[in-house]
Amino acid sequence: MLLVLSEEHKEHLAFLPKVDAAVVAEFGRIALEFLRRGSSPKIYEGAARKLCVSVEMVQHGVEGLMFLMTESSKHMISEVDFLDSVLVLGFGDELNQILLQLYEQHRSQIRSILSQLPSNVPAYHNLEWRLDVQLASRSLRQQIVPMLTLRLLLTRGCDSHSDQISRVFQTDPRTLQHLISTLEVALATMKTSHARRILRNIK
Amino acid sequence: MRFRFCGDLDCPDWVLAEISTLAKLSSVKMKLLCAQVLKDLLGEGIDYDKIAKLTADAKFESGDIKASVAVLSFIFSSAAKHDVDSESLSSELQQLGLPKEHTTGLCRSYEDKHSALQDKLRETSLRLGRLEAVSWRVDYTLSSSELREVNEPTIQLKLQVQGAESGSTETAVFSVSADKFRVLLAELKQAQALMNALQ
Repeated sequence: MLLVLSEEHKEHLAFLPKVDAAVVAEFGRIALEFLRRGSSPKIYEGAARKLCVSVEMVQHGVEGLMFLMTESSKHMISEVDFLDSVLVLGFGDELNQILLQLYEQHRSQIRSILSQLPSNVPAYHNLEWRLDVQLASRSLRQQIVPMLTLRLLLTRGCDSHSDQISRVFQTDPRTLQHLISTLEVALATMKTSHARRILRNIK
Repeated sequence: MRFRFCGDLDCPDWVLAEISTLAKLSSVKMKLLCAQVLKDLLGEGIDYDKIAKLTADAKFESGDIKASVAVLSFIFSSAAKHDVDSESLSSELQQLGLPKEHTTGLCRSYEDKHSALQDKLRETSLRLGRLEAVSWRVDYTLSSSELREVNEPTIQLKLQVQGAESGSTETAVFSVSADKFRVLLAELKQAQALMNALQ
């Protein structure tokens, strides 16, 4: 499929042919760092000073490049389609080849960054538990009440260091049995013929 | 096959696979590696450079090094968790294919640190809202805006608690009148007597 670039996008990218190849490669690197870690105005200012252009032009050029890369990676565009889409911009052959190189080198990295972006539902990280017996309380002595205390650790986000959520709760043995049997039923549904048929067809 | 050191469950596949990696080390290096892993489990920190030097002869890559540390950590902590004695551990590991000299070295290290490991695991067990500090102060109220002569003692208590859900320190400050405090103290003494009866 071909990428359709908006007029504004084309304008921003029009900056690129005015600088030499090494600078374009450098911009490509800055664009990828932007994806990974966000941009910093200092980088743009430094580049603008060296090239004697306004900071805005540099920023638009880098952002335009980054958007081109992410859109291409998102749709997994083939080489031919990428070159055709870039043809619209009217750049020279050499520049097109540089852009293509940049795309191919970093495509899988960009895709893995993009896949981590929607972090919606918290995911299981760890479960700690403790089995206690309550013997007495302020209101009643001589009791025997077994209790399981659980702490469920969840993470929201890609790696295990971002945003830990912890939930503490208690159950008695009967509820625990029910919990276990419900989870075993859930696990067993993976082995039904219906689920297996679907899994086979996904591959 | 059920193994005691896995809690009477099957041995995980990755443990089986990495035991063959461990067998590539010489038994002397294996014992030194066990000592390093035990240090880590007891919270004394781990020295990756030493481990890298130990495994350099067997030409372990970084993946192999991490795997062997992981499998030794699993074996030690799981055996301590299920209170397995070292003879059973030795026979089970040999059943899984770990050579005899390696097993002997491992089990000797395990036996030495068995109770220390269990103490450390007991410490790290789940505990909610630990009490960290208690401070108190006794005041004597002379008078107030409501009543000219009050003449009553009160106690101010500050409890620092590790929050159950958040894990960070929370502070509770409150004042207790003399009567209420007597009730509180009596109840807590009864709870203490119950706890001592169980020790």
